[in-house]
Amino acid sequence: MNWLRSFRWRILLGAFFWTLGLIPVGHLVFMAVHHRTRPRMELLPVAAGTSLVFALFCLLAGILLIRAALSPFTRLRRQLTGVREGSRPRIEGTYPIEVQPLVKDLNSLLEHRERLLRRALAKAGDLAHGLKTPLAVLAQEAERAQAADQQELAAIISLQVERMRRQVDYHLAHARAAGSGDTPGTRCHVLTAVEGLVRTLRRIYAAGALAIRVDVPSDHFVRCPRQDVEEMLGNLLDNACKWASCTVTIQSLRQNSDIVVNVDDDGPGLHPSMRDLVLERGVRADEAAPGSGLGLAIVRDLAELYQGTISLEQSPVGGLRARLRLPG
Amino acid sequence: MRVLVAEDEPSLARQLTLTLRRAGYAVDHAADGERADLLGNDERYDAVVLDLGLPKIDGLTLLRRWREAGQSMPVLVLTARASWHEKVLGIDSGADDYMAKPFRMEELLARLRALIRRSSGQINPELRCGSLVLDPRTGKVTQEGAEVKLTGHEFRVLSYLMHHGRRLVSQTELTEHIYSQGFDRDSNTVEVFIARLRRKLGFSSIETVRGRGYRMNAS
Repeated sequence: MNWLRSFRWRILLGAFFWTLGLIPVGHLVFMAVHHRTRPRMELLPVAAGTSLVFALFCLLAGILLIRAALSPFTRLRRQLTGVREGSRPRIEGTYPIEVQPLVKDLNSLLEHRERLLRRALAKAGDLAHGLKTPLAVLAQEAERAQAADQQELAAIISLQVERMRRQVDYHLAHARAAGSGDTPGTRCHVLTAVEGLVRTLRRIYAAGALAIRVDVPSDHFVRCPRQDVEEMLGNLLDNACKWASCTVTIQSLRQNSDIVVNVDDDGPGLHPSMRDLVLERGVRADEAAPGSGLGLAIVRDLAELYQGTISLEQSPVGGLRARLRLPG
Repeated sequence: MRVLVAEDEPSLARQLTLTLRRAGYAVDHAADGERADLLGNDERYDAVVLDLGLPKIDGLTLLRRWREAGQSMPVLVLTARASWHEKVLGIDSGADDYMAKPFRMEELLARLRALIRRSSGQINPELRCGSLVLDPRTGKVTQEGAEVKLTGHEFRVLSYLMHHGRRLVSQTELTEHIYSQGFDRDSNTVEVFIARLRRKLGFSSIETVRGRGYRMNAS
């Protein structure tokens, strides 16, 4: 019955039944008109009824067959929307033999586009990383100039190096996010990501007597690739560790279908008027702790990319609370 | 204290080596992963500054190899790739600290000092032994408040002994930790440095355990 999967045959068959249905209808109409002009001709009610049922059956079969023939296109469109929205990577399923090559071409186009994108992102990443070592060299030269009493030169170089570093970091995080944003349907186990980060931060902040408390249930997942979850939570936790006086807490809650992650510190906190400002790109609340500010802007952009939100509040333990909401 | 710098960018490697030498460390440099692997396995280091993007063998592979072979020296990873995902990967491969390029040399020195101190079990930033105080942050040694002038080698010997507190340190171990690679090592010179340190700090400051080594004496 392979021919039934053929688009052409379905249309032909549909058209055939439709035409077949039209014949009795035409006949009946002709008879009715004829009957009125020549009232003596008898119309057999039984025969008329049967042919009417037959006609309706044929017409219905015709319509259904044409609909069935066209339905793959509706399916195709739905799948294409899915690909665009990122819920599926490719167009799947079997299509009529005339449409299948089109699906194959579309899929290879998608693959090609993805390959190009990946390559462009890898290039952008290489470019950004390639710039960092020369920047490190320049930064050291600035320190040398400073030591050699060339304050002005040192200040100019360090300022520009810092600006370039921030630009590179910001756009690098974006390129990474744009790259992973195309991986559809990825879910990340929150606890696994948090445990890795806490391990890392405990090692980095081993010198201070900082306690990091984790309160994340093991059945919490978010709809976002692991790398980006780590980038968001890593920045939030790092900020908390920089400002905390002794304790950092990370807690995860389920709210409706979303997961809300709260990162609390017991540090000095942040004045309400500054809270929105530090989420802006490149604004630093305080120059004292290096690298803050930009990290939060990256978190905000990443959260928005995955239909999440980030907000800053007063923490119940005294310092700042960063509240990250992501679709679960 | 002896440090290995594994960095392939010549200018950065030169800057790092110079700064670390000036800070009182004996420094070896490896420009690629193979050389770093060789040095890390053959020599005794108190810390390693490791660039992840090394040619021949990349830094993470190197780190894993060292840890699998039981090498426990503290490793500070220095890298251009500093996303949190990569940081977690680095720490899980056995790194002790992580710094992103570009970095401030002062910060690198501070972190390196902290790593070395922690790995030798010291808690305070200043090392004390009786009235003798060695501050790794400034490289200054004071006895009863008065500064004692030491040469580079003398400082390294004293610093190594003080980092290890009351532990006995053999002559070979001392030799391994105060010279950079390619230096003509004569164990007699260690005796010379010890003698000079005793002259400057008082004879009883360093104790000799015959045939086994030296240790600091607090009394």
